[in-house]
Amino acid sequence: MKPTPLHPPLRVGHGGTWRCICRIGARWGSRIVCVLAALAAMQAAQAVPSFARQTGQSCVACHAGGQFPELTPYGRLFKLTGYTQGERGNPLAGMVVASMTRTRNNSDGAGGGISPFNNQAVLDFGSLFLAGKIGDKLGGFAQFTSVVHDHQDGDGHWQSHFGSDNFDLRYADRKINAEDDLIWGVTLNNNPSVQDVWNSSPAWGYPYLSSSLGAFGAVPVATLIEGGLAQQVAGVGAYVYWNRALYAEWSSYQTAKGLGSLLSLGNQPGDANHPLSSLDGSGQYWRLAYTREWAAHNAMLGAFGLDAKVFPLDANFSTINKLGSTRYQDLGLDAQYQYLLAPHTVTTFVRLVRERISDATGLAYTGAASLHSLKAKGSYVYQARYGVSLAYTRVNGSADAMAYASAANSPNTVMWTPEIFWMPLQSLRIGLQYNRFTRYLGAANNYDGSGRHASDNDTAFLYAWWAF
Amino acid sequence: MNGLSRFVRSFVPGLLTLLAAACTHTGMQYGDAQASGVAIATQTCSACHGVTGQSVSPLFPQLAGQQKEYLVAQLGDFKAHSRADERGTEYMWGFTRLTPRQIDELADYFSTQTPMHGPSPAPAPDLRGQAIFAQGLPELGVPACSACHGAQGLGQGSFPRLAGQHADYVMQQIRVFQLTDTRPRGAAMKQVTHALSEADTAAVARYIAALSATP
Repeated sequence: MKPTPLHPPLRVGHGGTWRCICRIGARWGSRIVCVLAALAAMQAAQAVPSFARQTGQSCVACHAGGQFPELTPYGRLFKLTGYTQGERGNPLAGMVVASMTRTRNNSDGAGGGISPFNNQAVLDFGSLFLAGKIGDKLGGFAQFTSVVHDHQDGDGHWQSHFGSDNFDLRYADRKINAEDDLIWGVTLNNNPSVQDVWNSSPAWGYPYLSSSLGAFGAVPVATLIEGGLAQQVAGVGAYVYWNRALYAEWSSYQTAKGLGSLLSLGNQPGDANHPLSSLDGSGQYWRLAYTREWAAHNAMLGAFGLDAKVFPLDANFSTINKLGSTRYQDLGLDAQYQYLLAPHTVTTFVRLVRERISDATGLAYTGAASLHSLKAKGSYVYQARYGVSLAYTRVNGSADAMAYASAANSPNTVMWTPEIFWMPLQSLRIGLQYNRFTRYLGAANNYDGSGRHASDNDTAFLYAWWAF
Repeated sequence: MNGLSRFVRSFVPGLLTLLAAACTHTGMQYGDAQASGVAIATQTCSACHGVTGQSVSPLFPQLAGQQKEYLVAQLGDFKAHSRADERGTEYMWGFTRLTPRQIDELADYFSTQTPMHGPSPAPAPDLRGQAIFAQGLPELGVPACSACHGAQGLGQGSFPRLAGQHADYVMQQIRVFQLTDTRPRGAAMKQVTHALSEADTAAVARYIAALSATP
């Protein structure tokens, strides 16, 4: 008997995370299950002390205002030339994140809570990095993460989970003289845009950390390129960066299994908490950027795209490849501006992604669908120590009764995220971030039909992030 | 298996070959004692200082046409960690393995570039800055910059060229000399700068930056 297919949990999220968003039903029960399943969502934080040891330079040399993972022009060159500057040494590095989340209204209306560990200090996750120079033209960045409270087993006990996170291995060369400067390279990676060097890109975009145990640490819906394929795929690509002005890249992705399974370590077919999605054929990703530097300023204007088809999963979280696939066509525009002159650092970006969805399976969407995702962020840091930032996220798209579990069956969400942070050491960041929702899945008030308001999901997130 | 799958599988032997090839030194990089100064300058230093020593950001000093002797001394001081100003330690303390030959070649490379210059067309010279540069502030015990750095700010020997240097960088270094002891080789500058006010520091830095720019 053919198993009854479930609507596939769609992976959305960003920066090495995935967030399982169940787009079926509006019941609180399934919603809570989904939210709990999403506890593996952690924002992959990216700060690599092994690079600092390799180059002998301070974090601020590569990271704007010390805000790892934001990159300065020098940091971008370091990555584009294959992480090879400096001397090969110990590639090991690590980081841990601890936090406390407070969801404004944590009641599920049935006597329970929505976000576990609400108002409690917890250890979120730890990462191990293998990163740095392998040879004069070869280097890489491999991150593996252990999430402390990943999911609960049948007895309610919390289980941890270890798996691959950001991965980028690249070979690069540079031909430079007084007239010309050409960097070219090839990359093997596990998330479209993880190989990118601008912080407007989905894999490296703000926020770099968000509440993983809180149910509302991010917007509930995102386009596929915003983390939906992270650690699910293995891709090979080639890029050029000419005269520090024009960047062009093309990468092709396939499901990360077989030889590529290191890149999706921790995700496997049939795993209810960490299933491995399969691509139907190969997914194509491209990226163009124009950059300019003048005095203490630098700016980028860019575009990118992803065209990928994803097979649905059945009730056992295994791939169904006989019913067709859902095609996501993402087109993005982004821009970034930085002002870097000690003691002041200003960094800003904006990113807009337009997504067209065509679901041949009939399991995820009732018809042709669209989704738009806009993100903008501005930060100011003083002395690479005291910082403040404000981000704006807006998602809107076609309403769909199958895809979105809310009264309006709509993805429309608006979230403001102010944050203050302090870096008493260049390797330690302590911050307070607040997600303020003015609209959630289609409405400001009573968005779920049971009286919950968007503002009930407001989330305060206090964290400490230490890299070593 | 489909064509793309075949390609990916065939990529693996290629990758292993690449890996083997890439693990060798190419003589192009800092850290390799065989690398030439020119290779290090173009592959590494250029990232911040520009391939011709003309840096874009005032965070990083112009090196183009700098006095060779001064460059040799500064590279040696960064290598030995005896120059310890904050920005210097952040960016330059990693270069502990430069060989004397490489330092000489690096200094040679940058000192022979078309000399640094401010933005063109040159702004009208800062008159206060010009006065301080040429005559000093005798009433405050501030000697003329030109006495050691030359009438045109071209420098000589161990006295660095100033003409065309980023104004912000000049201001930064004046503050470093005034307020810290992190540049012991330039200890004489402490006496020189100790009475310079913020406004006068800015004025002389603006004047210096505009020196040698084409009108």
